[in-house]
Amino acid sequence: MKFALRVTLVLVVLCMSSLSAMAQEGGIVVRGNAGADPTAFDPLLINETVTSDIHALIFPDLLSVDPATASIVNGPGPNALATGWELSEDGLTYTFSLREDMYWTDGEQIDADDVMFVWDFIQSGAVPTHLSFVADEIANVEKIDNFTIAVSFAEADCDAINSIGSLEPYPSHIAPEDLTTMPDQEFNQNLYVSSGPYTFGEVRPAESISLLANPDYVDAEMGFVNNDAFVLLNVPDLTVMVERFLAGELSIISGPQEARRAEIYAAEEEGRVQIYTYPGNSWDYLAFNLADPANPQNATDEDGNAIDQGMHPVFGSTEVGRDVRRALNLALDVDDIIERATFGEGTRMASHLVPASWAFDPTIEPIPSDPALAAQMLTDAGWVNSDPDDPSSVRVCQGCATAEDGTEMRFVLNTNEENARRTAIITIAQESWDKIGVKADIQTLEWGSYREALLSQTLDAYVIGWRNGYPDRPDATQLFTPASDVVGGCSNCMSYDNPEFTAINEQARILPGCSIDERKALYAEAQRIIQADTPYIFMFVRNGFYAAGSEVNGFDPFPSQMLWNVDTWSIAQ
Amino acid sequence: MTKFVVRRILQAIPTLFGISLLVYAIMLATPGGPVAALTFSPTVTPQERAALAAQLGVNDPYPVQYLRWLLGDDWMRFDSDGDGISDTAYLIPLDADGDGEPEPPGRRRGILRGDFGSSFFHGKRHVVDVIFERLGATFELGIASLVVGLTIGIPVGVLAAVNRGGYFDNFTRVMAVVFNALPSFWLGLLLLLVFGGTGLGLLPMGNRCGIVLVGGCPPFYERLEYLFLPTFVIAVGGVAAYSRFMRASLLDVSGQDYIRTARAKGLSGRMVWFRHGLRNALIPIATLLGPTVTGVLSGAAITEQVFSWPGVGRLVVSSITQKDYPTVMAVVMFAAIATILGYLLSDMLYALIDPRIRLR
Repeated sequence: MKFALRVTLVLVVLCMSSLSAMAQEGGIVVRGNAGADPTAFDPLLINETVTSDIHALIFPDLLSVDPATASIVNGPGPNALATGWELSEDGLTYTFSLREDMYWTDGEQIDADDVMFVWDFIQSGAVPTHLSFVADEIANVEKIDNFTIAVSFAEADCDAINSIGSLEPYPSHIAPEDLTTMPDQEFNQNLYVSSGPYTFGEVRPAESISLLANPDYVDAEMGFVNNDAFVLLNVPDLTVMVERFLAGELSIISGPQEARRAEIYAAEEEGRVQIYTYPGNSWDYLAFNLADPANPQNATDEDGNAIDQGMHPVFGSTEVGRDVRRALNLALDVDDIIERATFGEGTRMASHLVPASWAFDPTIEPIPSDPALAAQMLTDAGWVNSDPDDPSSVRVCQGCATAEDGTEMRFVLNTNEENARRTAIITIAQESWDKIGVKADIQTLEWGSYREALLSQTLDAYVIGWRNGYPDRPDATQLFTPASDVVGGCSNCMSYDNPEFTAINEQARILPGCSIDERKALYAEAQRIIQADTPYIFMFVRNGFYAAGSEVNGFDPFPSQMLWNVDTWSIAQ
Repeated sequence: MTKFVVRRILQAIPTLFGISLLVYAIMLATPGGPVAALTFSPTVTPQERAALAAQLGVNDPYPVQYLRWLLGDDWMRFDSDGDGISDTAYLIPLDADGDGEPEPPGRRRGILRGDFGSSFFHGKRHVVDVIFERLGATFELGIASLVVGLTIGIPVGVLAAVNRGGYFDNFTRVMAVVFNALPSFWLGLLLLLVFGGTGLGLLPMGNRCGIVLVGGCPPFYERLEYLFLPTFVIAVGGVAAYSRFMRASLLDVSGQDYIRTARAKGLSGRMVWFRHGLRNALIPIATLLGPTVTGVLSGAAITEQVFSWPGVGRLVVSSITQKDYPTVMAVVMFAAIATILGYLLSDMLYALIDPRIRLR
């Protein structure tokens, strides 16, 4: 009897201890936000970096993503509504099955109506939305039943699944009848209905935004969210953000300034910090305006007919002036720029595809640094030194293809003044070009002014960057085709237009069967064309960098997904 | 007194009008605009940008934009037949974005009818709401620094005057110049590095309080450590200014006949300085308080920025950067009104404290 009692007691104690081991460990994950407060919160109306971070933590996705590869998976996944899809034989229609065990925090079931609402909203055009591009890519979305939807396309598109991923479920039951009033709804300020690892907590303007652990999160890895909350703390700038991270006031940091990374590495050596680095997806480039900056024009008129955009007096147009642009590229030592502007925290790029992209062709070498060859090429192109004995004397046009004889090789090189890295780039470029007689006047503009000037297409040359999304999409329609060359609303703001490039890019996007190898070959060709045309001087991709304090348990990021397992994190007290 | 106040208020109207016109003109003349800030994404089409510009009214001629801010636009574009669709427009087009459809009727009433408009950002909320949610933090910091500035500055000024020409006087004179010359952003960052987590670790590196999930910050006396550094940064300038004012005022008073009389009566130095001198010397300081207290309203932009303090000053900085015209205009107008009221208060205080002054 005594033995039986002892055994029972031991079992009880063991059960209790295992129960306590499964209890929430707690803590608050604090991340810095160096930007202004979010403009609004409704996921259909706003897509700022900070709001995207919040949406990812409190709303479900439609499709499942493999965090390791950042690719969309045909199957179920945590916090994803679709369990998978079937593709029609003609490759035009995807039919999705939806889960039946997902609920909004107010108890309403998440179903096909919540996806259909997003599609209807986009089509209505009632309010400007960042999702409007989806209507250009998807032909139709149809509700088959409460837990099945079909998405069809007008033509087979190898990137179709990425567009579908934008149809993330929205709590349609709280939406107003009149969609034009959505910006005025409470939901745009307080996301009081959600469904994800966290729920919306409190916004303290200019201070913090708190998200609270969702006790009803069905896909929690441990059966519950292991921390108490996730807080976005407002900090004035990136410098203070690093200080506060090193001081232990922030739990995590991503993409800190390159100049401060050495301090974080030092903290890692002291055991105070965990670091994860990866090939990044943000890249800087120097762009040349390939149209007349004094008379900016759209690439095409309303009927799709090409408009004469003129040419830049120094850089020419897409067809004219390739040698000059290549010479300007050869004159720069980009490796030196990486060292001086990013403290070595950058990886050289050869084209518009980042080295981590599946479509990147490693056989395409970056353009090397060769100032002597650059000088010779400029002379051959009809740009000669005004003083033949002084290689740094300003070059003037003598039979060049883009300007009248006697025109000096001068232009303005712009960037945004708040960015020390880009300011360093234009300063180094100016120094390098000056040695071969190319005179660049550098000018930095406040971000708002710079943005306006870029869109107006009146700049000569400028340094700025892009950030690729995940999953990686090598399609360059937005960057390098006439469709994106619209004054006041461009992403091809330098008016690049090579019909061969456009055709190959399009071919790779809609290739029947979407063979990866064939698409890679097409994208490799596109990369060679873009490098030969040199509308950009491709600089570098910034190395990705995540760090967490040693008190953060469970920190195990992937390149695109620092927070993929945040529901398992705990913060040691 | 009433006549004086009414006259000063009437005089303030053209002043405020001039300020509003000037600030609006400067703001619109700066390059960049809110549409680019709100839509800087390759996925936003030019048509959507045009629609947003029409909605915000930022493509209208500058005088029309100013008139809209002043008088509203419910009379510029309206629905005359009650079908809910705009059919009549003055000064602005019916179809501002060129999509073939008339824009919705104007809803703004303008500041002359008490409508300061809605922010282009901040969820397009009414700017008065946006400003009021920041006022508490600004008041807290402003009052704290004012109290610290006065409680240190005045005694220092008195002691400097009493010890005129002595070591203490010379020391405080030098320190006043140093304190006045210190840029607040530099001092703030320096203090953060020294006392913050990466330095001595004695004080937090910013914000108004620690992490609070719901319910807002606790009362200020439970989070004094957050107030310490920003208060110090703002107060050093106040200490320098008040101490110099106090010293000069007290020395000025010390040459007056009634002080000589007090001395002649055989009163002790302490009685002469503190009973007769100090009370009269405080009059200029008291009148200085009017504009100072109301100036607290407009916030300390740089200090709030450095210390992540969620006040009005920081709101102004971000609004200027974002080209949030309604918010900038509202803050400027509030600050202008506060300044005018401050000076009015100052004149009234002067008359109340000093019986020799009569307001007419």
